[in-house]
Amino acid sequence: MLTRTSRLVSGARRLDPGRLLHAGSQAPQSLAAPLDNQAPDDSPRAVSRTSEKDPARHGEQHEGLHYNIPLQDMRTLFPHSLPPRFSMQVKTFSEACLMVRKPALELLHYLKNTNFAHPAVRYVLYGEKGTGKTLSLCHVIHFCAKQDWLILHVPDAHLWVKSCRSLLPSTYNKQRLDQPAEASIWLKNFKTTNERFLSQIKVQEKYVWNKRESTEKGSPLGEVVEQGIMRVKNATDAVGVVLRELKGQSSLGGFRLLVAVDGVNALWGKTTLKREDKSLVAPEELALVHNLRKMVKNDWHGGTIVLTLSQTGSLFKPRKAYLPQELLGKEGFDALDPFIPILVSNYSPKEFESCIQYYLENSWLQHEKAHTEEGKKELLFLSNANPGQLERLCAHL
Amino acid sequence: MKTSSVFEDPVISKSSNMMMKGRNKVLATSFMMQTLEAAAIKRNPYTIFHQALENCEPVIGLVPILRGGHLYQVPVLLADWRRHFLAMKWMITECTEKHWRMLMPERSLHELLEAFHNQGTMIKKYDMNKMTEAIHALAHYCWC
Repeated sequence: MLTRTSRLVSGARRLDPGRLLHAGSQAPQSLAAPLDNQAPDDSPRAVSRTSEKDPARHGEQHEGLHYNIPLQDMRTLFPHSLPPRFSMQVKTFSEACLMVRKPALELLHYLKNTNFAHPAVRYVLYGEKGTGKTLSLCHVIHFCAKQDWLILHVPDAHLWVKSCRSLLPSTYNKQRLDQPAEASIWLKNFKTTNERFLSQIKVQEKYVWNKRESTEKGSPLGEVVEQGIMRVKNATDAVGVVLRELKGQSSLGGFRLLVAVDGVNALWGKTTLKREDKSLVAPEELALVHNLRKMVKNDWHGGTIVLTLSQTGSLFKPRKAYLPQELLGKEGFDALDPFIPILVSNYSPKEFESCIQYYLENSWLQHEKAHTEEGKKELLFLSNANPGQLERLCAHL
Repeated sequence: MKTSSVFEDPVISKSSNMMMKGRNKVLATSFMMQTLEAAAIKRNPYTIFHQALENCEPVIGLVPILRGGHLYQVPVLLADWRRHFLAMKWMITECTEKHWRMLMPERSLHELLEAFHNQGTMIKKYDMNKMTEAIHALAHYCWC
C-alpha cells in the first residue's frame, strides 16, 4: 500500500505516515490514497468525504471534508430553516453533506469547553455574502442535538420584520404588536425539533390565555406550545412564555440551552411593517422581537448563544456591509457587546478542491473540461473561492 | 462575443443571444443557465442540448424562386448554418409562444427533453413529411 501511495502522490504534497496509517480516521484530504474500507483504485483520487458522522469527533484532520447528515435528522433538526439553494442540493443529491470548516471547528471547540456556571457566552458568526455562515450554524446545531441540548433555532430573524400579512395589537401588552402567522410556524418547528423536552420541562407559573383557557403551574411545556399552535391569536404570547420559561429553567441545570439565531441584525434594524395608519413600526414594538432580544441578553447561564449576521435579508443596509459594527448598528452592537466574533471566510485552496471533488463525485459538474486544471482555475477565478458563488457557477456546468 | 473561458460553448452562446430581448443579455444567459441546471440532473446538459437541436434540424427547406413572373417554393438542401439557425429559432419561438403558465426555463427544458427523445411539438411541426409533398410537386423544377 505504501508503494502505491508514493507513486500516486504528486511532488507538492507531503506524506504524513502517522496520519496515513491511523486506524479509525480517514486519510488527509487531497492525498491520493485509497481509504481503508474502499477498494483501492489505480488512478489518483482526491478525497472529499469522511465517514465520521458525529460532529463531536470532528477535529482538524477532518477539515475540508464533507460529512453526511442522515435525512431523518435533517427533518427533525431543520424542518424549515435551510437556505433554499442548499435544500435544492439536498433534494438533487438525495443526501445532505456539510463541509467541516475552520470556523465551525473553532466554535465546537469552544462549546465543548464551556463552563455552564458562567453567564451564556455569545458567539457571532460574520462574513461576506455567501461564505457559509448559515451552514456553519447548522453544523453547530447538529452537534448540539447529538449532545442532547435543547435547541432554540430562529432560522431567519429577517422574516419576522418584513412582509408580514397580519399584525394584531398584542393581547398581553397594548403597545406591542403580535404576529400570529410567524409565531405559529415557529412553534410548530420548535415542537418538531425538541419533542423530548416538551414533556420534561414544567411551567413554573400559571398563565391565563383568555376567559376559558389557562395553563396551570407545573404542567408540561408541551401544553403551552399546543395552545399557541391551536389558538393562533395567542401564538406570540405562547412564544414569549416558552422563551421566558426556558431562560429561567436553563439556569437550574436540567438541560442545556442553545439559542441559535440567523440574521440577528434584524432585531436592531428598521422594519418594513406599517400599522393601519401607515406609521412605521419600530422593532421594539414587535412582541416577537422584544422577547428574542431578552433571550439574546447574557443574563442567564446553562447554555450558549450562537448568532449569525446576514446582509442578504437585511433591510436598508448596503450590499457590501459584513462587519458586525456596520450590520448591527450602534444599538445592536451595544446590546450584544461582550461577544466573540468568528469570521467565516471564503474557501481555502484545500476546501475548494474538496468541494469540486464532491461535485464531481455526485456527477454535478458534467462539463468535460470541468475536472481539468484550467477548468478549476477558471472556477476559482470566477467565484473567488466564495462557496455561494461556486455553487451557483457549478449548477449549470 | 467569443470568451476565453474554458467552458464556452458557441451553440449555447448563440442560442442565448437569440433569446435576448431589449439588450438584456443578463436575463437571457440566466434563462439559459437555469435550463441547463435543471437539465443537469444525472446527465450532461450540453449533450442534451446539442442532441435536441440536431433532432430539430430540417434537412430540406423551401426557398421561394421567381421564374417567369411566378414565385415557386422549391425544395432545396439547406446549408449547415441555415439549419442550425432554423432549429434554434423554432425552439425559441415555441418556448415564447406557448408559455402554458410556466416560466421560460421550465418551458424550454420541457421542449429540450422532448426534442431529445424525438417526440413533441417541435418534431411534429417541422417534420419531413410536409416537405415530401413539395418535393413531389416541384422536384423537376429544381434549378439549383
